[in-house]
Amino acid sequence: MGQTVSFTVNGSRKSVEIEGWEKLIDVLRDKLNLTGTKRGCDDASCGACVVVVDGEAMRSCVYLAKKLEGKQVLTIEGMSNGTTLHPIQEALIEAGAVQCGYCIPGIVMALYALLTKNIAATEEDILEELAHHLCRCTGYEAILEGAKLAQKKMAAARG
Amino acid sequence: MEFKYVGKNIARPDAAAKATGRVQFIDDIRLPRMLHAAFLRPEYAHAMIVSIDTSEAEKCEGVVKVVTGKECAFRYGENMKDRLPMAVDRVRWIGEPVAAVIAESAYQAQLAVKKIKVAYEPLPVYIDARDALKKDAVLIHEDAPNFVRLPGMEPVPGTNIANRYTLKKGDVEKGFREAEIVVEGEFNYPFSSCSAIEPHGAIVWFHEDKTIEVWSSSICPFIVREDMASVWGLPVSDVRVHIPELGGCFGYKSDVTIEQTVAWVASFVPGRPVKWVATRQEDLLSTLIGHGIRTMIKIGAKKDGTLTALKTTLLHSTGASMDTGIHVLIASTHNSTGAYEFPNCHLEGLSVYTNTPPVGAYRGYGHQESQFAMERMMDILARKLGMDPFALREKNYLGPGRVTSLGERLWESNGDVRKCAKTVQKIVFDKKKKLSEDDNYYYGRGFAALMKSPKGASFSSKSCYLKFNSDGSVSINMGGAEVGQGLRTVVRQVAAEALKISPERIRVYTEIDTQFSPWEWQTIGSMFTIQGGRAIIRAAEKAIAQMKRTAAQVLRVDEDRLVYDGDSIYLNHDPSVRVAVTKLTRGYTYDDGVTVGDVVHTTADARLPRQSNPDACGQGTMGITYTFGAQACELRIEKATGKIFIDHFVSCFDVGKVINPRQIRGQVTGGVMMAIGSTLHEELKFTPDGKAINPHFSKYRFPTILDAPKKQTIEFVETPEHIGPFGARGIGEHPVIGVAPAILNAVYDAIGVDFCEIPLTKEKVLKALEGKKAR
Ligand code: FES
Ligand code: FES
Repeated sequence: MGQTVSFTVNGSRKSVEIEGWEKLIDVLRDKLNLTGTKRGCDDASCGACVVVVDGEAMRSCVYLAKKLEGKQVLTIEGMSNGTTLHPIQEALIEAGAVQCGYCIPGIVMALYALLTKNIAATEEDILEELAHHLCRCTGYEAILEGAKLAQKKMAAARG
Repeated sequence: MEFKYVGKNIARPDAAAKATGRVQFIDDIRLPRMLHAAFLRPEYAHAMIVSIDTSEAEKCEGVVKVVTGKECAFRYGENMKDRLPMAVDRVRWIGEPVAAVIAESAYQAQLAVKKIKVAYEPLPVYIDARDALKKDAVLIHEDAPNFVRLPGMEPVPGTNIANRYTLKKGDVEKGFREAEIVVEGEFNYPFSSCSAIEPHGAIVWFHEDKTIEVWSSSICPFIVREDMASVWGLPVSDVRVHIPELGGCFGYKSDVTIEQTVAWVASFVPGRPVKWVATRQEDLLSTLIGHGIRTMIKIGAKKDGTLTALKTTLLHSTGASMDTGIHVLIASTHNSTGAYEFPNCHLEGLSVYTNTPPVGAYRGYGHQESQFAMERMMDILARKLGMDPFALREKNYLGPGRVTSLGERLWESNGDVRKCAKTVQKIVFDKKKKLSEDDNYYYGRGFAALMKSPKGASFSSKSCYLKFNSDGSVSINMGGAEVGQGLRTVVRQVAAEALKISPERIRVYTEIDTQFSPWEWQTIGSMFTIQGGRAIIRAAEKAIAQMKRTAAQVLRVDEDRLVYDGDSIYLNHDPSVRVAVTKLTRGYTYDDGVTVGDVVHTTADARLPRQSNPDACGQGTMGITYTFGAQACELRIEKATGKIFIDHFVSCFDVGKVINPRQIRGQVTGGVMMAIGSTLHEELKFTPDGKAINPHFSKYRFPTILDAPKKQTIEFVETPEHIGPFGARGIGEHPVIGVAPAILNAVYDAIGVDFCEIPLTKEKVLKALEGKKAR
């Protein structure tokens, strides 16, 4: 029943043999060893597994692997470059939003999708996006602050 | 005292590794030839197992072994050995493991597990302690009186009472005779889940040489190690436990939870590691849950507000085993005084077996449940007395010279609840309430004071291994678990201050491994900063003393003539005569190659000073310090929907000394949010026959950013704690304690209805609003 799908992950081309039931999260974690993407629930409601597919934030736990053909996937492993962090990562750290860190990869990716699409996102837009991400540690204050700081940093980098 | 590093926003040493997804949580660990387990959970919450048919499952692809509990002969537990790794002939709660499949992949194991057939003979189910206490109730553990347990724990034969804890202070009858007014109430704190976003998981590997290696999402590696060794008949040193990165804990990853179950399964395939990671449903039902405590409370007072007597009875639906819940209930019972002095107390806590998942630690460890009752009652009593609720509290607060229910006389260094209360009052109540009602909303304000007692054991030490490297950098290794609370940052800051070197020169441990890490009891009870910090300071002092010993030889003076400044050791009357730290870390080597002195590495530990077991009256010393605080909120209730909006939440704690302002704020914002979840939304619900109603995040109403208070104000009082590092006390659990009563007191202020149960959902509020209208 196996089939092969070809797609790019963090800029590099992959061909992976998959089963029909497999989800993107399984491919990333178990086949490509990209374990930065996290699983936090069993019914698509925590946001820990969010990655970016063709520019859109997607919950990899429900994204069928067979739909990956030709897609461009960006995961948390593709966000930093060597020891240089992405401004979103920097911002979340500076704001004190990283406590246990389990929710963070999903949040980084969601903010990336949101802010690359719309750098002028309003606070409501940001809240709406973050409402899909559960965090038990922070009480969300620092995450919101980090998101706004990320927006500033990304806007500044664009000049 | 001026501090160089303590009190500053030093950066978290682990933030970048977490933000890049590089850290390894349990599910990220892959070992050679690793197998995967999946579990079958029962269809009934209480039933005899008539038969198990595993034949179909055994035929499935990838299956290596199917395991049942039939032959399982051991029980485990730290306090009371009433836990089974897998059901033997009877299931007692809905999340209990009944059988397991070990397969080459997790998916194969999950598919095969569905093929196992079990025949059950259902038994009556008890969800609430009150039902399990009924006269004709079936006994959940008939042999409870024979269970191995710590001294002082006494199951009541012929009942489902697993333990009765009674505390007597003074003469409660006399206290009620002296009372001019008596108020009574009943309050319930229902089941819920800590629900870290990372679920529980473990890997167990029985090696060919008969040693055992374990990886677990646990905060108590050394307890897991000892429990493994005792169950599997090995020397403690033959069990090695690794703790990877932890994606939150909040209590339920303490004690031995899932490890023996995975070990039981893995014991059937020695030579190969077996991994199991909980699904969210399993995390909610098959690990440890929180609370389940009902408090009946009766308070006696004089007309002038002087408290004379307190009687509380706590009923704990402790679940199908009490091992992990017993101390939660004991803490809840003796803390039911809240932040007040009662001269006469009779406090009783009954741990009752029920057909629900075992209750264990939940951030707050018993404090929020009974203080919810106390703080609501304070407002109710004040109303009855026609007294200002702040004046009533003020009259009775614990403080220096006052005596807790446990019989401990407090010192000034235990902190100042009055200052905390005043700070909060000033922010919220000094101004007049702007509005009590408009077209769309009712407005209310509420207050709660709180006390946090420590909770430990006589041997509950934390230790520190400190090593100076050749370039003067320092490596610190401890057994404390970083769960997100920022422990590594605290270690770095305290060590920097103690060693007078910059934090960048200090590298803090990451993984815990019982083979290398110094011993630690477990990272619980908000005690790491105070105890771990003490251990660090002691280790630092030893290291400095050791360098001075060597320097004394080199400089040919007595040690007490020497001064250490982080970089060098020099003569106190002539700083130009000095030797650099880098020259001392491996002993001092003269030009001719002769070396004197020792390698600079030290160990130290810190116990809970004065910790004692409870005496015949249930009293005793808790060992470390108390902490006090106060919380308040301003809220709005939407008339049309009953929905509560928290506009402003205010907290103030006497933490002795703030080590890291940004981190401590994060602890408080997170704790307050978690408790707002408990107060307004979260409840783990069961049907009368014990099935779980909402064991998924889509149904278990976990708070999101949209539920966060519009604004949180957080203040600290700093009354130094004499044994804390640079005066500091703990903070991890405190923010959850006063939230429910502050909110429910505010709800009364807004609509004049006294609620005694949480979660206070909008449906319940709306019903009350409609009831009010009808009247
Ligand atoms: S794992 Fe929770 S949304 Fe995907
Ligand atoms: S930082 Fe721990 S869950 Fe968000």
